[in-house]
Amino acid sequence: MPSKNPLPPKENAFFKRILKCYEQKHYKSGLKFAKQILSNPKFAEHGETLAMKGLTLNCLGRKEEAYDFVRRGLRNDLTSHVCWHVYGLLQRSDRKYDEAIKCYRNALKWDKDNLQILRDLSLLQIQMRDLEGYRETRYQLLALRPGQRASWIGYAMAYHLLKDYDMCLKILEEFRKTQTPKPVYDYEHSELLLYQNMVMQEAGMNQEAIEHLKTFDKQIVDRLYVQETTAHLYMFLGQPEKAAEIYRELLSRNPENWNYYKGYEKALFLEDKPDERMKMYRSIMEQFPRATMPKRLPLDFATDDVFRDLIDDYLKKSLRKGVPPSFVSIKSVYKDPVKVKVIEDLVLSYVDNLIKTGKFDSKGEVEPATSLLWAYYYLAQHFDYLKNIEKALEYVNLGIEHTPLLIELYVLKAKIYKHAGDMDEAVRLMDEAQSLDTADRYINCKCAKYMLRANLIQEAAEMCSKFTREGVSAVENLNEMQCMWFQTECSFAYKRLGKWGEALKKCHEIDRHFTEIIEDQFDFHTYCMRKMTLRSYVGLLRLEDSLRSHPFYSKIAILALEIYLHLYDHPLTDTDHDSDVNSENLSPSELKKMKRKQRKAQKKAELEKEKLKAEQEKRDQNKNKAADGEMDGPKEEELIPDKLARTEDPLEQAIHFLKPLQMLTSKCIVTHVMAYEIYSRKGKLLLMLQSIKRGVVADRNNPQFHICLIHFLQYVKDKGEITEPAKSVINLEMKNIYQGKTALQLNEEFLAANSDSLEHRLAGARMMYKLDRSRQEEAMSLATSLDSKLKGLTIQNCIEVLEALCRGDLGKCEQEALEYQARCHKIFPHATAFIIPTPAPANCGSVECASTEQILVNGSALKNES
Amino acid sequence: MTKGRTELGDITPHNIKQLKRLNQVVFPVTYNDKFYKDVLEVGELAKLAYYNDIVIGAVCCRIDTSENVRRLYIMTLGCLAPYRRLGIGTVMLEHVLNICEKDGNIDNVFLHVQVNNEGAIKFYEKFGFKIVEEKKNYYKRIEPADAYVLQKSFKEGSTDERKTASETSSEDTTDKIMS
Repeated sequence: MPSKNPLPPKENAFFKRILKCYEQKHYKSGLKFAKQILSNPKFAEHGETLAMKGLTLNCLGRKEEAYDFVRRGLRNDLTSHVCWHVYGLLQRSDRKYDEAIKCYRNALKWDKDNLQILRDLSLLQIQMRDLEGYRETRYQLLALRPGQRASWIGYAMAYHLLKDYDMCLKILEEFRKTQTPKPVYDYEHSELLLYQNMVMQEAGMNQEAIEHLKTFDKQIVDRLYVQETTAHLYMFLGQPEKAAEIYRELLSRNPENWNYYKGYEKALFLEDKPDERMKMYRSIMEQFPRATMPKRLPLDFATDDVFRDLIDDYLKKSLRKGVPPSFVSIKSVYKDPVKVKVIEDLVLSYVDNLIKTGKFDSKGEVEPATSLLWAYYYLAQHFDYLKNIEKALEYVNLGIEHTPLLIELYVLKAKIYKHAGDMDEAVRLMDEAQSLDTADRYINCKCAKYMLRANLIQEAAEMCSKFTREGVSAVENLNEMQCMWFQTECSFAYKRLGKWGEALKKCHEIDRHFTEIIEDQFDFHTYCMRKMTLRSYVGLLRLEDSLRSHPFYSKIAILALEIYLHLYDHPLTDTDHDSDVNSENLSPSELKKMKRKQRKAQKKAELEKEKLKAEQEKRDQNKNKAADGEMDGPKEEELIPDKLARTEDPLEQAIHFLKPLQMLTSKCIVTHVMAYEIYSRKGKLLLMLQSIKRGVVADRNNPQFHICLIHFLQYVKDKGEITEPAKSVINLEMKNIYQGKTALQLNEEFLAANSDSLEHRLAGARMMYKLDRSRQEEAMSLATSLDSKLKGLTIQNCIEVLEALCRGDLGKCEQEALEYQARCHKIFPHATAFIIPTPAPANCGSVECASTEQILVNGSALKNES
Repeated sequence: MTKGRTELGDITPHNIKQLKRLNQVVFPVTYNDKFYKDVLEVGELAKLAYYNDIVIGAVCCRIDTSENVRRLYIMTLGCLAPYRRLGIGTVMLEHVLNICEKDGNIDNVFLHVQVNNEGAIKFYEKFGFKIVEEKKNYYKRIEPADAYVLQKSFKEGSTDERKTASETSSEDTTDKIMS
């Protein structure tokens, strides 16, 4: 539709050239043509030209001007679809999708059949998951362009996503009928058929799906998928014989695929028939003597002598060949203590025999010298797994003595020390491993990770810099590369150091990666339609919908929540620096030393900053050189650690991290514990109740949640009068959850039911003391028991107990804390956390001084209100 | 007996520490930084030996051109104790001898060995090396301090072995032990 303000032919030609320049990314030239038009006083306020000038400026990164011009253009020509479209594009480039959708709709008002605008609109709608709107738009596109493949597919997919399978299948079938596939290898047609099949399966039309696969068998090029799916469908349809046949074929195709064995066993009903099951595996072993899976899988169900023979063969083969992950590959067998004993005896006898005769046992040949080495390596892993640190160290040292150049041994030794609680030694060993082969990025990363565990952040960054891009600081480059493990570990290290702001910065950076990944799907909306990779496309959409359910996210989200809660309970004062955890426990001379160190670090940091600045400038220059390149999304606000740590509304910030967890990981109890902690601080009664209700479903017996349960009960009791209608809701729900029990009863029951678990005992003891101060002694003995029969007797859990003692969760108990620490030291002699520094400190605070500053989510929540 | 795989690999700045660690374990003599710096420059003349993909040995040589004679000097050749008598020394020595042959312009190859190291002497004699000289107090911190010079000539009728051998200065701390 022509504009209200048409340009004469000459100017119109210029305008067309602006459009062309925009499409071809010749932005500078585009601006020149715009100037040609606008310099003519008659057209100085020509709306569409102004808008296009703005859009072009946006691509050159001149955001503010861009908005000025586009808005001015729009004001001058409110009935131009071009102006509205341009405004939409501008908003879209800033990821303001809702705004952009509005603009497109306005544009369509003035030109309702504009294909380009409809297409752009549909992209935004699918991105925002406005499925109804998407369906509408795709319908219009189909009506306008029924001859195009994408029109049909897009329209069908809209119904698929809305779960209207019938309609979707009808559209797909109509479209399929019009297609004539190429005679050989028509991949796109094949994908169309498989997409159709996928929808059938999701609609539960298994019979139709199998028929469909048969009918179009010749046209489908993904043969593996056809076989796998057919087998699957036969199982669904209760025809296991047919499924078994296909699984057997699949096994011949790939005898290493675990899933095929599972399917085959199920199809043959072998679950409870160990002899037949074994026979099946033996027959495949005969057919494929070199395959590993038929040797590995029977280890899970075989017993007694059969198991012994199988594991004997399995171990000998892997030790002879030198397979480093052979321990890992059979770790799942370790669930059975009988099997563990068999394995231990076998490998110990190998070592014995190899030393004496060079053979695994009296039979067989002389083995290569490396067999003994790998046997040592295996035993070290074996004993490490069984938490027998001394034996593990003994064997890893024997290995190192035998062959001091097997890097895996140093890696393993580092790991053993890590498990033993001595991170410093672990770092030293990992660094040694790393130094032996500096071209190995895996070990380089491992070393960096260990350094971060030991809070050596600077060192870790330097370690990584051996592999990151030159000219940029490693930390920056790793952020750019979305290297989340590094940022996560950094964040935890900063938290341990009490650098809340820095830790939060890392959490936000990772959160932004997730946002970025969701943004990235934008390009796929057009690409996948064009390439017909429809099954993967739907998979992508579903992945993006639950992206933040990934452990990488929940890990840092929970960390961020803990920090925000801590900052809410202990806001930073003006004099607080983000960096000093515990200067109050230091003697004056130590303080001086620390200050000196800090000054030095500061100087270093400043130098570093200058260097970075220089680099930044250099890069900016480079950027300017490539000025005609497109801008990549909107500029994000810079994350400044101090500002993050001094946020005015830590709880609101926390909720930002909490929401996705509530949406996506509601099965995880920590989500609800965290939600409760936040809402209890906000005093939101009904939201507290909601968290409690959800927590009860997720894992009522969780120790942290138990504390929330008791807290809520007390909270409601102390609250006194609650207004309707909240009152009746709460009363009703509480009756269901608590069944009229008192806090004391609840706690006694909890303790009785979980007396064999260290974590539960600690939570129960804390509540016992809180509810009745006179029972301190009883609570103390509950929490500090180190009986070897207790579940969860780990270094981490004992540290928690020690921290609880130091914090005063069980009342004043300095002497007991020291004693407890000494007892732990006996059990975990390598763990640095339990080494009492000499001379023995006088007060509990310095026993584990860092721990007093740790975040005490549950503890502080209760302390505030009790 | 199940045979393992023996292969030779390059020494690079990335794995030079493996060579250092190996030499520490195998030889009673410590080598200075210059030794390791030079090793990185000599290409095929210095190699790590792998057995089933694990570094267990190494050979390091250099070209010696004193008195206008081009000779090849074996500075170190050794392997870890559990991996001896597996033919790894042979692979390394043959590699060195191959280089000499290809070069075609090398007069002889020689090395020092502690006088009591019978295993090593036998090993080299098997490849045509001969004792051409005994050097008193060649080693500084180990006993016995005396060394033999073992040499294998490529030029026919080269009889002046004694003379050339004596040219290697005794202050050369590099040595060869194959126990």
